[in-house]
Amino acid sequence: MRTRARGGSAFAKTVLRSIRESLGRFLAIVGIVALGCGFYAGLQMSGPNMRDNVDKYYSGTSLYDIRLVSSLGFTEADATRVQKTEGVQDVMPAISCDAVARIGHEQLAVRISSLNVEAASEGEQVNASTILSNNSSYLNRVILQQGWWPQAPDECVISADKDVANTGVGDTIELMYGATDLDDVLQKRRFKVVGTVSSSNYPYTGSFGSTTLGTGMIQQYAFVSPAAFVDDMPFTDLYVRVAGADAYQSGSDDYESAVDEVESKLEGRVDELAQARLGDIRADAQEELDDAKEEFEAERSKAYKKLRKAKKKLDKGLKELREGEDKLVQGRKDYESGKAELAKNEAEAQQKLKDGQKKLDDAKVELQNSQKQLDQGKARLEKGQREYEAAEAKLLKQLGAKSLADARQALESQRAKAAGGIESLTQTREGAKRIVLGYQEVEGQSPQVAKGRAAWEEGVAKLLGGLQAQGMKVSSLDEASEALAQLIAQMKAVGMPKEQIDPLQQTLEAVGELQATDGELARAEDSLKRAKQELDSSQSQLLSGLASQGITANDAQSAISAIDAQIQQADKGISQIEEGLAGISKLEEAKKTLDKSACELADGQRKLNEGKQQHAEGQKTLNQQRSEAERQIADARTKLNDAQKELADAEADLAKGREEYEDGLAEYKEGKTEAEEKLAEGEQELRDAQQEIDDLEAPDIYILDRTQNEGALTYDADSHRIDSIADVFPFMFFLVAALVALTTMTRMVDDDRIQIGTFKALGYSTLHIASKYLVYAGIASTVGATIGVLVLSQVLPYIVTSSYAIVYAVPLHPLPLPIDVGIALVSGGLGVGVTLFATYAAVVASLRETPATLMLPRAPAAGKRILLERIGPLWRHLSFSRKVTCRNLFRYKRRLTMTVIGISGCTALLLVGFGLHDAIWDIIDKQYGPIIHYDTTVGLKSEATTHDVDQVVDYLQNTGEVTNITRVRLENMHAGSRTSDETIHVQVVIPQSSDDFGNAVDLRNRISGQEIQFDDQSAVVTEKLAMKYGIEVGQDILLYEQDTIGNVVGEGRPVTVTGIAENYVGNLVYVGREAWRGVDDAKPVFSTLYASTTPDEGVRSKLASDLHDHDDVTTVVFSDETIEQYRNMLSVVDSVVIVLIVSAGLLAFIVLYNLTNINIGERIREIASLKVLGFTRGEVHAYVYREIVLLALLGDLLGMVLGTFLATFVITTAEVDYVMFGRTIHPPSYVYSFVITMAFTGLILMLMRHKLDKVNMVESLKSIE
Amino acid sequence: MPFIEFRDVCKTYRMGDVEVRAVDGMSFTIDQGELVVIVGPSGAGKTTVLNMLGGMDSATSGTIFLDGREVSALDERELTQYRRHDIGFVFQFYNLVQNLTALENVELASQICQDPLPAEEVLAQVGLSKRMDNFPAQLSGGEQQRVAIARALAKNPKLLLCDEPTGALDYRTGKQILKLLQDTCKSFGRTVAIVTHNLAFTQIADRVIHVREGRAASIETNATPADALTVEW
Repeated sequence: MRTRARGGSAFAKTVLRSIRESLGRFLAIVGIVALGCGFYAGLQMSGPNMRDNVDKYYSGTSLYDIRLVSSLGFTEADATRVQKTEGVQDVMPAISCDAVARIGHEQLAVRISSLNVEAASEGEQVNASTILSNNSSYLNRVILQQGWWPQAPDECVISADKDVANTGVGDTIELMYGATDLDDVLQKRRFKVVGTVSSSNYPYTGSFGSTTLGTGMIQQYAFVSPAAFVDDMPFTDLYVRVAGADAYQSGSDDYESAVDEVESKLEGRVDELAQARLGDIRADAQEELDDAKEEFEAERSKAYKKLRKAKKKLDKGLKELREGEDKLVQGRKDYESGKAELAKNEAEAQQKLKDGQKKLDDAKVELQNSQKQLDQGKARLEKGQREYEAAEAKLLKQLGAKSLADARQALESQRAKAAGGIESLTQTREGAKRIVLGYQEVEGQSPQVAKGRAAWEEGVAKLLGGLQAQGMKVSSLDEASEALAQLIAQMKAVGMPKEQIDPLQQTLEAVGELQATDGELARAEDSLKRAKQELDSSQSQLLSGLASQGITANDAQSAISAIDAQIQQADKGISQIEEGLAGISKLEEAKKTLDKSACELADGQRKLNEGKQQHAEGQKTLNQQRSEAERQIADARTKLNDAQKELADAEADLAKGREEYEDGLAEYKEGKTEAEEKLAEGEQELRDAQQEIDDLEAPDIYILDRTQNEGALTYDADSHRIDSIADVFPFMFFLVAALVALTTMTRMVDDDRIQIGTFKALGYSTLHIASKYLVYAGIASTVGATIGVLVLSQVLPYIVTSSYAIVYAVPLHPLPLPIDVGIALVSGGLGVGVTLFATYAAVVASLRETPATLMLPRAPAAGKRILLERIGPLWRHLSFSRKVTCRNLFRYKRRLTMTVIGISGCTALLLVGFGLHDAIWDIIDKQYGPIIHYDTTVGLKSEATTHDVDQVVDYLQNTGEVTNITRVRLENMHAGSRTSDETIHVQVVIPQSSDDFGNAVDLRNRISGQEIQFDDQSAVVTEKLAMKYGIEVGQDILLYEQDTIGNVVGEGRPVTVTGIAENYVGNLVYVGREAWRGVDDAKPVFSTLYASTTPDEGVRSKLASDLHDHDDVTTVVFSDETIEQYRNMLSVVDSVVIVLIVSAGLLAFIVLYNLTNINIGERIREIASLKVLGFTRGEVHAYVYREIVLLALLGDLLGMVLGTFLATFVITTAEVDYVMFGRTIHPPSYVYSFVITMAFTGLILMLMRHKLDKVNMVESLKSIE
Repeated sequence: MPFIEFRDVCKTYRMGDVEVRAVDGMSFTIDQGELVVIVGPSGAGKTTVLNMLGGMDSATSGTIFLDGREVSALDERELTQYRRHDIGFVFQFYNLVQNLTALENVELASQICQDPLPAEEVLAQVGLSKRMDNFPAQLSGGEQQRVAIARALAKNPKLLLCDEPTGALDYRTGKQILKLLQDTCKSFGRTVAIVTHNLAFTQIADRVIHVREGRAASIETNATPADALTVEW
């Protein structure tokens, strides 16, 4: 035993010494385990911590477990009934109503609730989330933060958790209108703020609930004393606390089942409760009504009795009056008939006279007309005659004749003469023509003759010349003939041969021929001469003939032209004559017509004179008849006037009687109508009241629990979101922790191998040997786990809860936070277990070797050729240190894995941090501007008319500061799908004009950036909404109406989705006008305006206050305010970014520290060798660090990929229903993550430099003992 | 002036509270081109002498000269340069870079100094022309030591320092290494200092320095050193 004890202490010493000696290594394990366990534990505890905080708050303030809402309200009796349900511990009735209030310069939707002021005042606040009260039925206890409780009916307290319009104690809230008529609900309209409070019923400051008013969100709440409500106001809510539910954490399964049990019991009693409520209301009302009915009946019979009496009196007077009247009527009738007869007679006479006169007048007019026509005819005739005479005189003067007949005779003889002249001229022309032709013939023949003569003379001359040449003395043909004949004869006689004679003979014959020709020629010449002579004489004859007619011409040819001129002239003369003749004929015709007219006129005049005489006689007779008739009528009239006077007197008497009667009657009637009206009214009122009572339906009673409280629900969802992140995130830390432990312990075991070998040789068991390392690792990891869990289970939940405190008014748990032992053990166990396992694996690997090999220094990992060397040219270009680097990278795979994963984890964490930041700011940057173009929303009352909207639009346009006004209909509804029972609050936007809706909102696809077509048939849903229900284009989305407290009512109306639009804030459905008809066929009034306003504070506040003065305007919202609100909400995540950056830095530090540490330890001889070889400090650093930097780069790059996935996961997990985060990580975030990781690396390597410098050559290279 | 001179050199280490005087007034001289064997029992301080001479360690007091330069006065940076250009080291356990081939190990040294000898040539000199592309793990101990010697020689150092160069080798191989060192000295006129506890080596030395308790107990010169191959131990 002593040995063991000594061995034990020696063992402890060994362990302690090894810790001291390798503090860096030890701390690395401590650090990474602390980080891994702490992160896991801290994140795992954050969600529960949030839930714990809120549970404490709910319990501490006795927040209701179940809330009952009735459409007819509740009474104390109902409260008592509910109280009697099994499992119901306490019931608190309360009144609440929603109203739009003017707070400061803003109009906001406010929920006003009654507060049990007495109980509240007596309550004692124990801590930030607990109020103690003796009154156990004081639920939803309110924590007073400032001021005092409302006492007077016009005092209120408001939320301390949300600063709305800088309102605080001392300010006033003015209610403008409510979801129902405020006069039926509240005594007052103005409330003075006397305090600020926190209410666990409103944990979420982003929205205090939904309402039908304004933007659909409750922006402020207020509590007032019950006296502020009207006297007979029923309770609107019954708040119920479930017995025993408080023992469980709110939202836990146990809690839910405890509440569900009571809920289902109440559910089972709903009908009963409703009927009871109905019965109460009915009974009260019926009783009241019955009393009223009775009273009414009595009054009615009294009234009718009075009326009957009066009526009798009146009837009697009327009878007397009627008799007098009858008489008068008869007299009047007689008078009237006389009068009528007279009038008739008079009228007849008058008519007759009138007819006669008319006839006479007509005749007179006719006569006058005839005279006029006659006079006109005469005038025309005279004019015709004058014209005729002038024409005749002119013609006669022209023709120089005495009368027309003479003129005609003379013209006709002239024409005959001219015709004769032309004939003789024509004949003369024929003669002249012949002469011309004769001359032409003569002239044609004479050259031929002359030519014949010339030929002949030439022949003669030739012959004679010939003969003379032969010596014959001849000068003429005759002599030649003779001489030849003589010669021939002589020759014959001489007997000369014939041959000699023949030429002479022939010559002789030729002479003979010439002689004959001479004769012929002489004849022809003669005949030509003669013909010419004849022609000359004919011509001179012709010319002299013509001369006698006064025509001068030189020859026949010119005579022809002269004659032609003459004939032309003669023809002209004839046509003049013809004209003259035609003129004469015309005049003669005219004369005939004139004569006939004159004759007719004379006849007409005669007839007219006769007519005039007849007319004068008729007039005279008529005048006599008239005077006779007038006399007779005057007589009759006098008689009638007398009768009339008599009648008038009688009438006056009667009128007086009637007046008296009428007065009486009117009085009676008035009284009667009045009475009847009143009675009918009363009767109607009674009927209505009865109807109302009969119509009373059992109220709808809703049973709600905390899951229907928007704030509680959102809070719960957010806490579970943290849980899902907690499930994934720490995994990486654990992985790195395992790797760090494995490499570190492997290194440690290797360092000790000789010792291990010795132990093993000495016969120690494997476990015994391993125990040293296991204890070492166990201590390191336990210390790490403890520190990590202790520190981070405080820090992380604190950061998470205080971040969420920006949007949730849930009191934080004071530090130190409770530590969930289960989670702490699990995470610590995991951390320690992983480390021990890694250690054990490392030891066992070494112990497998035999003691002998263990005693030898471990053969350094053999150098190996790597793939890269096969690429000769590249490899040859590397320096040796680079070659070593490359080979080392692949030589220590475990370290490569650890470093790459660790560094990639670092980069990934940074990328998640920056990515989250991008995603969040994208919400605002992409939503406002690129998608939502308008910055101003003006909402009018839902019952506003188009005219009201027009007025507001006019106002806006006239300011000149507002542009792009788009009219839409805004509906607060719920949306769901066919595949899900769940519904979600949405805003439905129906643009008046789908064409210019693009001015207000850009509907586009997020990924492709493509514009989405929007027309009247379209229905476009926003991306987040589509994603929630998995709705795609072409599928239906169901739209549900909601009641005043935001519950779904009725059936969902399907709308076919035509597009899914990028959107980040809110869930919206854009529905075209036509498509909207499928949901609501009422004609929509587009009572909401989207517009752009000059971004100037002064302009906007003036605009807002002007608009608020407008009765119909309910909301004026500038997007800037909304943006500011979101900025606040979203800054939650910015602190998470810092946490991530810090943990990334820690991770990088531990991993790189460890890596460097091992690297140096393992290669200490190598480093010493280099130093001995004379490597400078810098060269040594580079030699070692190059590979670390390369690994870090590799890890960094991998981290980009890993981070992208992780960021996407975190972003989608962290999202709330109401908001979609940006989906892209911006390029700078990649750059930052990359650079920061490398900066971390650089920093750590700088810090590790001295460790390299400290490597002692002498020590390191000592011979191995 | 001698090539190397130790003048009253002391070196003390502090190990906790204990002060250990490893070298205590060491004085000797070595001439250029000599093969010197520093011999003594374990713990006599001979390795410390070598380290101080090689610029790996500095003297606590006294002066060390090499080639007229006062090594003991150099600062850290100057010592690095000194090791780099003037000294070649050979260790008992070779201390080769495992990840580099024989040739690369030699080049690793030659690439950083001013006037290196061609690596291949040096390797051929030590008889490893055929194993240049092998990694240390693929070589025998003798071959590894040859690489180590080649690495030291490639730097063309003024002084070659060997600390028990045969300590990890068998007898035959050890002799060959010894022969190699002797040849280096004789053929190239390089000054070589060998630290050993093996007295047999004294036969091959030009000068023998016996070290005992941190002092040079005796210094003897050997006019006719024996050939390394003939030495027996």
